[in-house]
Amino acid sequence: METIKGLTRRASLALAASFTALPMLGISGQAQAAPVRGGKMIYGRYADSMFLDPVLNDANVDIWVMTNLFDTLLQPTADGTGVQPGLATKWMLEDGGKKLVLTLREGVKFANGTPMEASDVKWSLDRARNPKLGPWGDLVSSIADVAVTNPSTITIMMKTPDPTILAALATFNTAILPQKLFEAAAGATDEEKAKAFAERPIGTGPFLLSDWKREVSMKLVRNPHYWKKGADGQALPYLDELEFQIIKDDSTRLLKLKAGEIHGTELVPLTRVKELQADPNLRMELWPSTRVVYLSMNNRPKLKDGSANPLSNVKVRQALNYAVNKDAMIAIVTQGQGVPMTSFMSRTTPLYFKQDLYKVDVAKAKALLAEAGFPQGFETSTMLVSGNQDQLNIATAVQQMWAAVGVKLKLEPLDNASLTKRYRADDFSMRTGAWTNDIADPGQITSYFAYFPNIGSLHTGFQNDRIDALYKSSLEEIDPAKRAAQYKEIQEIYAVQAPILFLFETPYAVAFRKNAEGFVQIPLGNNLFEAAYVTK
Amino acid sequence: MNRGTWLLGRLAQIVPSFLAIGGLVFVLARLLPGDPVSAVLGDRASDATIARLTAQLGLDRSILSQLFGFLSGILQGQLGDSIAYRVPVTRLIGERLPATLMLTGFALILAIVIAVPLAFVAALRENRWPDLVIRGVFQVGLSTPVFYVGLLLLTGLAARARLFPVGGYGEGWLEHLWYLFLPALTLAFSFAAILMRSLRSAILLVLTAEFVDFARSKGLRPGLILGRHVLRNALIATVTLVGLHVGSLLGGAVITESVFAVPGVGRLMVDSIFARDYPVIQALTLILAVLVSLAFLVTDIVQMWLDPRVGR
Amino acid sequence: MRAKIPLATGMFLLAVMLSFAAFPGWFTPHDPLEFDFEALMAPPSAAHFFGTDQFGRDILSRTIAAARVDLQIAVFAMLGPLLIGSLIGLMVGWFGGVADAVFGRLADLVVTFPFLVLVIAIVAVLGPGLINMYIAVACVGWVAYARLMRGEVRVQKSADYVAAGRVLGYSTGRILFGHVLPNAIRPVLVYAITDMALAILLGSSLGYLGLGAQPPEAEWGVLIADGKNFFSTAPWISLAPGIAIVLAGLGFSLAGDGLAALLDVKR
Repeated sequence: METIKGLTRRASLALAASFTALPMLGISGQAQAAPVRGGKMIYGRYADSMFLDPVLNDANVDIWVMTNLFDTLLQPTADGTGVQPGLATKWMLEDGGKKLVLTLREGVKFANGTPMEASDVKWSLDRARNPKLGPWGDLVSSIADVAVTNPSTITIMMKTPDPTILAALATFNTAILPQKLFEAAAGATDEEKAKAFAERPIGTGPFLLSDWKREVSMKLVRNPHYWKKGADGQALPYLDELEFQIIKDDSTRLLKLKAGEIHGTELVPLTRVKELQADPNLRMELWPSTRVVYLSMNNRPKLKDGSANPLSNVKVRQALNYAVNKDAMIAIVTQGQGVPMTSFMSRTTPLYFKQDLYKVDVAKAKALLAEAGFPQGFETSTMLVSGNQDQLNIATAVQQMWAAVGVKLKLEPLDNASLTKRYRADDFSMRTGAWTNDIADPGQITSYFAYFPNIGSLHTGFQNDRIDALYKSSLEEIDPAKRAAQYKEIQEIYAVQAPILFLFETPYAVAFRKNAEGFVQIPLGNNLFEAAYVTK
Repeated sequence: MNRGTWLLGRLAQIVPSFLAIGGLVFVLARLLPGDPVSAVLGDRASDATIARLTAQLGLDRSILSQLFGFLSGILQGQLGDSIAYRVPVTRLIGERLPATLMLTGFALILAIVIAVPLAFVAALRENRWPDLVIRGVFQVGLSTPVFYVGLLLLTGLAARARLFPVGGYGEGWLEHLWYLFLPALTLAFSFAAILMRSLRSAILLVLTAEFVDFARSKGLRPGLILGRHVLRNALIATVTLVGLHVGSLLGGAVITESVFAVPGVGRLMVDSIFARDYPVIQALTLILAVLVSLAFLVTDIVQMWLDPRVGR
Repeated sequence: MRAKIPLATGMFLLAVMLSFAAFPGWFTPHDPLEFDFEALMAPPSAAHFFGTDQFGRDILSRTIAAARVDLQIAVFAMLGPLLIGSLIGLMVGWFGGVADAVFGRLADLVVTFPFLVLVIAIVAVLGPGLINMYIAVACVGWVAYARLMRGEVRVQKSADYVAAGRVLGYSTGRILFGHVLPNAIRPVLVYAITDMALAILLGSSLGYLGLGAQPPEAEWGVLIADGKNFFSTAPWISLAPGIAIVLAGLGFSLAGDGLAALLDVKR
């Protein structure tokens, strides 16, 4: 019998330790002052959340802040690759991975003061895996049954052993909500109740939503019942209030930060990182992310309009990859803040396998194009979101680099909805794209990028039977070594087939005033404010 | 036709116009390529998820039945829920309308405060240096894009000189005014230029008109002439222009709000168009139409009150 | 005489812009599309009078090369509304009646919509790009021309020469297009010149929002948007295009004013 024992020491200590050990690109080795309690932090966001329901939401703008309101049974570690205790303090996988027994943390209360019960946990997990609700059910579809063994123990029976189940229980959609309050919310269906509940959501997280003006501001106040302890041994969070202000315009958001009107802001344009680093009042933080930036290509023999598609030839796709100088691209588009992709998944993804992906080689690119029957190059096009400066810069740079091998790239700027429509209809040659993982596992990105049956490998139409078979068997492979071998092979095949144009990885660029500290963004993107504080 | 029936007639025209606008924008919104569900759910969602949400929002019903539902909703005062934010559109708009109204109102007042005295100075010193300087400056103002003026003011007066907050709306009336000063000034700039120009010609026209000569000949003091005749005629010209330009001021608010991060409806409108959030687009259009119509009506009434010849 | 100074200034500015648009190669010191990795975001210098952008492209060259696109916007964004609006104004002004009443309602309807929002909506329907922007502007902009024309036509209708034409047995078409139109069109044309300044502003506003000219077509609004993120560190990126917009706008409005004064058209 295989058992994996959970950590028993206090989670807060583990979390605090991992903060300082984190290999941050921006603020490594900086001495931190003792946290200060009380006060208010204002954080500028580029877009507002839309729907604060763990199960029914569908966007990063929700996912990335929900951790501040809700907790999951397990939590991702700060480096994003493992799990640590959350609302469960211990977990044991038994019966060859077919049974998972979790011990619930004692004394956990929801933000309204009512204790969290085992029944809330069972109900929340059942809701999360209900395939009729929301887009995330697949992440926990291997669960056959959730049972309350006793008031502090939950037993999960699996349909098949699932190597990702622990990561899934640390993912936002399995957050624990108060069953009674949710069911008492207005409305007849789950969706209506969720809508009503999400107006004033109650969870076990460090904060409680107190006021929300859509697209203007979201105000959170301290949850006095939060279970996690700070460095001073008192309950977290340090802040009394946390306000998110929505400021869509990048330059305005940064001007507000410089003027001291807000304490911090997300999504600093990478082209401005150096400028902010030079500002004595600010601290630029570059958090390791799972974000990869690429161009997806249509791999089908014919385009939607029936014309022949040069991109269906693997040699052409390789040639286009060889023709791009990723380092120059990184210098222009991110002012040196990115790193070249070395697999279709980021370095921070578990089971990532490093490869030397297409170092720039114009001669080889030309030779490959000639072999493929395009010695003079050809004309193709890429869709991009109009008005998106980053995508425009990427496309402009690619356009310039491909011109050297005779490939003419036409830019097709579209508004997001039109672009999504054509993308979903597979009606495109190329498009600019970016991806972040939602779960600390290579399975999710692989199912979207490489495994055809899900969404046709990013709608590229790329289909590789070997990858599909490997991915499928990886879903039930609980031997870590064997699973790593499967993912290594998947990544190798994908690199050679090159269904996408590999570009670069970028960190999460976040900037704070010097007096605002303690914020953490994990590679999955989650914004953690539980240990954030403001000094004078 | 007396004034009462004229007013009633004006009001009676409003209702059918709104139904026409409602129908028009309903069709226009549905002509947009793409649909709200995939705009909300994005690239990753499966076809099944899309189909479920589409059905749930009633977007799989026939266009006619949707149109009927929408129009009958208007008559019952129901404008529906935002697709992206899942809250009633009335609330979404209600939270943001005050900022836009205040911004445009403030801009109007600033424009008038700037333009009226300068127009008098320019007209009374016609073709001498004050006139030329004023006209030159406004000519440049008229030729500068709103967003450029905004960026300059934002970077110069707010971020560098720290005289004003950089962006946002603040809390409470005083803060609102404080936060909105720069955006309002930006928005007021080009309108002030238009206003000054028309006002100047209007004043010049009055100054040379026969009744002023007549008044002069009756021995009225120049100050009195200016006050009684010129001012009134200038006011009529101003009111007319204000009425004509309320729509474009609201339109200009789109860019100003975006540069200064003012949480108003202009930005909401653009975002909703991009998100294909039909209910918000429809409701917002109707509300803006009501506002502009009201502005027209108020202009007409004020004109009528100032100038007995209007009202036919 | 005073009217001649603004007119001459305006005409001079327009002539400069026009020569930029006609022969950009004569004026651009560098290839506007050429990347220079040695000089990314270089401040103004002898080599680059207005500096370079994040790709190392010469700002002055890009600004001069963009004149063609912006003047094109000025002309085409004015031409559509001018033709459609004048024709409609001529018809409803002449024939009156039901057509006039319908026009009144329709014009009110269009004016009720905030102009920019309507243009944005139409461009969103059709997709971003210049052609679609012209269509959008034509859908909205015709009203102003039609109103102006209608007013003029109604004045001209009672003029002596119309009655004379009738007596002579001229056809309505001949009176309308041969006599009324030439007499009524003057203020419309003067307005059209000033309108071109507004068209450039609108085009650059849409470019700034990402809805107007699309790369690789450089347009002044797009150039300013490019430099927006560097407004505090590299303000020169948006300086030259900003100056260009102001000068072009000034050129059109001065020329319009001067012409109005010269032709004695009431504004």
